[in-house]
Amino acid sequence: MTKRFGETVAVDRISLDIIGGELLILIGGSGSGKTTTLRMINRLIEPDEGTIAINGIDIRTIDGIVLRKNIGYVIQQIGLFPHMTIRENIGLLPTIEGWSREEIDSRVTELLTLVHLPPDQFMDRYPKELSGGQQQRVGLARALVMNPPLLLMDEPFGALDPLLRRQLQDEFIGIKEDIGKTIVFVTHDINEAFRLGDRIAIMHEGGIVQLGTPRDLILNPADKMVSDLVGSDRLFEHIASLTVSDMMVPASSIISGEMPVQSAIEVMVQSGSTVAVVRDRAASFFVAQLPTLLQRRDEVKTVLEATDPPFFLSMDASLLSALEEMKAASASFGLVMEDGEPAGLLLPDDLISRLV
Amino acid sequence: MVLDEIAAVWINYNLTERTIEHLWIFSIALIAAIIVGVLIGLLIYRRRRYAPPVFSSLNAIETFPDIALLVLLIPLVGIGTVPTIIACVLYSILPIARNTYTGLISVSPELLEVGRAMGLSERFILLKVRFPLAFPMIAGGIRIAIVFTMGIVTLGGIFGAGGLGAPLQTGINLIRPDIIFVAGIWVGILAVILDGIAGGIEASLKRRFGSW
Ligand SMILES: Nc1ncnc2c1ncn2[C@@H]1O[C@H](COP(=O)(O)OP(=O)(O)OP(=O)(O)O)[C@@H](O)[C@H]1O
Ligand SMILES: [Mg+2]
Repeated sequence: MTKRFGETVAVDRISLDIIGGELLILIGGSGSGKTTTLRMINRLIEPDEGTIAINGIDIRTIDGIVLRKNIGYVIQQIGLFPHMTIRENIGLLPTIEGWSREEIDSRVTELLTLVHLPPDQFMDRYPKELSGGQQQRVGLARALVMNPPLLLMDEPFGALDPLLRRQLQDEFIGIKEDIGKTIVFVTHDINEAFRLGDRIAIMHEGGIVQLGTPRDLILNPADKMVSDLVGSDRLFEHIASLTVSDMMVPASSIISGEMPVQSAIEVMVQSGSTVAVVRDRAASFFVAQLPTLLQRRDEVKTVLEATDPPFFLSMDASLLSALEEMKAASASFGLVMEDGEPAGLLLPDDLISRLV
Repeated sequence: MVLDEIAAVWINYNLTERTIEHLWIFSIALIAAIIVGVLIGLLIYRRRRYAPPVFSSLNAIETFPDIALLVLLIPLVGIGTVPTIIACVLYSILPIARNTYTGLISVSPELLEVGRAMGLSERFILLKVRFPLAFPMIAGGIRIAIVFTMGIVTLGGIFGAGGLGAPLQTGINLIRPDIIFVAGIWVGILAVILDGIAGGIEASLKRRFGSW
C-alpha cells in the first residue's frame, strides 16, 4: 500500500504479510512510515493505494468502529483518560458493550494482575497517580480488555528509562506467551526488536528495506543500512542465540569410500567444496578435505584412506558450545548429523568469514 | 455605634429581601448565560469556520458600555428585570462560549487518537472525553461571567430591576452616603464570596478532570 500526505509519501508501495500469532517488529528512523502503517491497519487512515486484508477479508468492507474494537492499540504517549480511574479506563469498552459491573471488575482484576499491578491498589486510582511505567502497563491492559486477536503497539516502551524499559520488555515477553496474539510492534530500538520480535521489518523512507527473522537480518543483511542497523558487534552478542544448524553448510553430496582419490578430487572441485562427507561400506561417515586429498593423492588409492575421523555435532546444539568442543578436540570442522544421516558441515573458517 | 447604623440602614431599606432578589436575578441570568454560552461554544466547535466571526461579534458586544446597553434595551423590552438579565447574558456569553470552545478543541491529540483507535464514536468522544476534560476551562469562563453578572445586576437595580442596585439608587437620589456605603460594601462582599465559591469549584474540577 501507499499513503501520501500532500507532497510527502509517508508509506511507499509496501507489501507485508503478517503471520497469525507472530510478533512483527516495524523498525526504522523517524518519519520512515511506521506509525502511518499501523494507522492504516486499524483504518484510522485509509491508504491511497493498495488494500489490507485480515484473514482474507478486505478491511474496507468492515465497519471502522467494529474493526477498531477488535484491534488493540497502544501508543508511546499511553493516552489514559485523565478523568477516569484505572478501572474506568480499562473497563471503558466493556461498559459501552453493556457488561455487568461484576464482569467488568473481574476482567479488570485479571488484566491488572497480568500486567503486574496489584488490582486492589490500582483500580480506583487516577492515571496521574501512577508512574510512567505503571501507566504504560495500564495502557496495555486496556488494549487487551476485549481480547482482540490483533494488537498494534506504537513504541509502547519508548518513553521509559532504559532500566524500566528492559523490565517491561521482560514482562512483556512473558505476557506475549500467555496472550498468544498477533502483534505489530513499532520501535526505534534495535535491541528491543531483537529481544521481542519473531520477525523484523526494517523501514526506510516509507519502504520496507528488509523483512526477516533476527537471524536473517544478522546473517544476510540486504544492504549497508541494514548491516549498520543490526550492527556487526551484534553478531557477537547474538552468536549466543545461534545453533549449529544456522551456520552449517549443507552436505551437498556424499562420496562413496571406494571412489578413487582422483575422481573424488574432481567431484569436489566441480562442486566447489573443499570438504566432503565420505561413507564407507559399514555406513560410517568420514570427512575428506581437498588439500589433504591433493597432498596424498599419490600415496593412497581410495578416498577413504585419506579421510579424517569426523567430529560429530547435532543440529540443535548451540553454536558456541559446539565451537568450544571442537576447539578442545582440535577438530577443524564438524559433521552435523540428523537422524543418523549427515545434514551438513560446520566449518569454523567459513563461519568466521560469514560472520565478519 | 457603626454597627447600629449599619443595622438601621439594613432594616430600613430591606436589604435582606433585596439580597434575595439580587441573588435570584443573578442566578437566572447566570444559568441562562451558561446554557447559551455552552451551546454557542459547542456550535462553533461543530462548525469551526464560524469561530472567528462569532467571537468578533461577541467581542464587539463586550466592548459596548454596560449602561448604554441597558438604556438601549429598555425601549425594546421595557423596564424591570428583563433588560438586566439580557444584558448579563450578552456580556457573559463570550467568556463561557470561548472557554467551552477552547476546552473542547484543546483535548490532547493522543487521547483522541487512542479514543478513536478503541472504536469510540465521535459523539461518545465529545460527550465522555472532550466535555469532561473541558469542565475546568468552562468553569473558568463561568467564573469570569459571575463577576460581570454581579456588576450588571447591581447596575440594573438603578434601572428598576430591583436587587441591591435599588438601595444604591435611593442612596444616590437622597444623597445618603451611609446607604451607598452599606449597600455598596455588601455587594462587594457578595461578589467576593461568589467568586471564592466559583474558584473552589473550578479548582476541584481541575483536580478531577485536569490532565496536569
Ligand atoms: N497526519 C499527517 N499529516 C501530514 N503528514 C504526516 C501525517 N502523518 C505522518 N505524516 C508524515 O509522514 C511521514 C511518516 O510519518 P510516520 O508518523 O509514519 O513516521 P514514523 O516512522 O512513525 O516516525 P517516528 O519514529 O518519528 O514516529 C513523515 O514524514 C510525517 O511527517
Ligand atoms: Mg511514529
